[in-house]
Amino acid sequence: MWRRSASFILDDERRRTSNSPPMADNTTRAPFQNPDAISAYYQTRAAHHGVITSDWLAQAQAAVGGGVSGEENSDSSVSELGKDKSFNVIEEFNGWRKQPDLAEAVAAIRALAAVIRASEASTMMELEIELKKASDTLKSWDKTSISLTAGCDLFIRYVTRTSALEYEDFNSAKSRLLERAEKFGEISCKARKIIAMLSQDFIFDGCTILVHGLSRVVLEILKTAAQNNKLFRVLCTEGRPDGTGVLLSNELSKLDIPVKLLLDSAVAYSMDEVDMVFVGADGVVESGGIINMMGTYQIALVAHSMNKPVYVAAESYKFARLYPLDQKDMAPALRPIEFGVKIPAKVEVEMSARDYTPPQYLTLLFTDLGVLSPSVVSDELIQLYL
Amino acid sequence: MPDVQSMVLEFVNKLRKRKIEGSQATARCTVELLRSVISHHRVPHANQASALIDAVKAVGAQLVAANPVELAVGNVVRRVLHIIREEDLSLATAAVAGLDLLDASDDDEDVNGKGIGYPGMSAAVVAAAARSTLRPPSLQTLLEGTPESATVPYTSSSGADSESKTADKSSITRKLKHDVIEGVNQLIHEIAGCHEQIAEQAIEHIHQNEVILTLGSSRTVLEFLCAAKEKKRSFRVFVAEGAPRYQGHLLAKELVARGLQTTVITDSAVFAMISRVNMVIIGAHAVMANGGVIGPVGVNMAALAAKKHAVPFVVLAGSHKLCPLYPHNPEVLLNELRSPSELLDFGEFSDCLDFGTGSGSPLLQVVNPTFDYVPPSLVSLFITDTGGHNPSYMYRLIADYYSADDLVM
Repeated sequence: MWRRSASFILDDERRRTSNSPPMADNTTRAPFQNPDAISAYYQTRAAHHGVITSDWLAQAQAAVGGGVSGEENSDSSVSELGKDKSFNVIEEFNGWRKQPDLAEAVAAIRALAAVIRASEASTMMELEIELKKASDTLKSWDKTSISLTAGCDLFIRYVTRTSALEYEDFNSAKSRLLERAEKFGEISCKARKIIAMLSQDFIFDGCTILVHGLSRVVLEILKTAAQNNKLFRVLCTEGRPDGTGVLLSNELSKLDIPVKLLLDSAVAYSMDEVDMVFVGADGVVESGGIINMMGTYQIALVAHSMNKPVYVAAESYKFARLYPLDQKDMAPALRPIEFGVKIPAKVEVEMSARDYTPPQYLTLLFTDLGVLSPSVVSDELIQLYL
Repeated sequence: MPDVQSMVLEFVNKLRKRKIEGSQATARCTVELLRSVISHHRVPHANQASALIDAVKAVGAQLVAANPVELAVGNVVRRVLHIIREEDLSLATAAVAGLDLLDASDDDEDVNGKGIGYPGMSAAVVAAAARSTLRPPSLQTLLEGTPESATVPYTSSSGADSESKTADKSSITRKLKHDVIEGVNQLIHEIAGCHEQIAEQAIEHIHQNEVILTLGSSRTVLEFLCAAKEKKRSFRVFVAEGAPRYQGHLLAKELVARGLQTTVITDSAVFAMISRVNMVIIGAHAVMANGGVIGPVGVNMAALAAKKHAVPFVVLAGSHKLCPLYPHNPEVLLNELRSPSELLDFGEFSDCLDFGTGSGSPLLQVVNPTFDYVPPSLVSLFITDTGGHNPSYMYRLIADYYSADDLVM
């Protein structure tokens, strides 16, 4: 009842669902929290970061208890496809995703490649239908991951267009699809290198860079700048609750880059000594804004009010067909937060793991398609889907 | 060719000594020079487009290095490269279409061996793949990997042994150069005619009894205002004098000669007068890919004043001023410091400019930057020869005029 957002429809829904709690093991939790919404994507990111406390584990166990039933549902839906395979696209995806250096979209496309390999289809149409089903399964399993959705959509789109190019032989078309899917991992690595190269000009000697979150792309940018012997220093935000600040400062001190850690609340205090802000993105939306770790919007607002440029580094496969109108206009992605002390039972915790930064607070996006201003993103998306 | 080389060297010298004033004149001279380079260049039979591109790039790199601040040079070189790629592509699609027809009429049985060298793919696919080399990388092509080059149809046609095909091939050789030179001539025509094209739109933007503010002197702005005057709109013009060169004085004289009511003000009076002004119109030196404007020194101040008082800030720029680069430190890297004598007379201040006590550097420094950078958030509208555009739309025009491969020279 305290929430009044511009999307009153969302408020209405939430009021309705909170009045009738869906699960039996919901009784231990406060009425507004939905355990099913704990985002697998952010759980994996946390696992990669390695910040796991016993508190978090306990909550995660409870969440997995709700999550396993979800997985079973999707298992049964896969077997409902009528094919007799022991192959499960979700398992495949999970396997790929656990690797820390692999982007989410790459894992998705590898999983879909495995679907193609295991498929017994004999025509392009059948293959496409199978792929569509597998992609829908993946997307419904984790609704909160934008790069997963975007990666799946991109691959399905590519398959549809390739089949339209009249390959005479089905097997050669299939092998070409497999080859491109495998190559996508290389494309992703190359994308990071291209982005690092494009952003080198923007880092000048003696500059101070503020970084939020632990993006592998931003890390690549800073590494390349250090290799080019640029003199700069980095301010990292602490990045609660993932503790990204400490991890990033570890990595950067290995490269001999001067690093300073800030509390998340100390960003405005330090903003006058900052020359530019660099962030990664979990997803780039159609308006040109980004969805990223919680805190990005705050930093962008402060930077904008002090006339500091905010640069976003994102690969192009993160472009998604979403258009959030406000912060709550996305699928909720919740993440358990530990405060170190016991919280009274009646106290709510804002558990959202991400926020949306509108395009007017962003200066430029560095992508493997080139340097873009936020207005170019919708153009690219239209070109893809037309 | 020695003649062309000497022309290039002479032009490089002129650029380095800043002998050519104004981006339009520079652009024209550059294009004419490149046209001579292209027409004198001997092209090999295979891969002639890449030979031409390499030749133009080599000359272009020299020219840009001679005067890196004059962005029109780089812009125009990239336009010429884009023309070469486009003409090559259209010839390739025509050649492939021609081969298709020939094969269809030649051999009815030989359906598979189309002689194109792409097993199992139709000519339309080849053309589509070749066309994608011309566009910048996009989400569509992300998964496709690097498309095969458009020159493959040429080599396959040279491998064919019918005489009609070889005759076609030599005519194709001459045709590419001819088409490119035609395209370049069109570009020269466009550059020369940009003032008229922009001035045609004046009547839509300037209304009766308006007060216009401008700064310094720009021929585009002069033509723009006079075109509105021709169409019987009566309005007043405030001209900020544009110290230290005081070119605003020249503009004011021109405007009065054409019958416009003009007021001359100092640059410092811009903030004071801005509340009485309906629109600010400025000519740009260059427009960057993000929509930022490089203009004569003082326009940033006028832009900030206009933003504060919600006055529309309109920038006029011909298409040769559109630069595909994103500025990362424009106040320093894209600026030029002119002689301090424009500010202070040498005679009066020469003792201050002497080396001061001990430290070895003079106590008095005089800085005279030529250009100012206006960020895209302060600009309301760009008027180019293709029409009026939003600053966030400039990337589209740039994508139309330039190819992604030419950005780095």
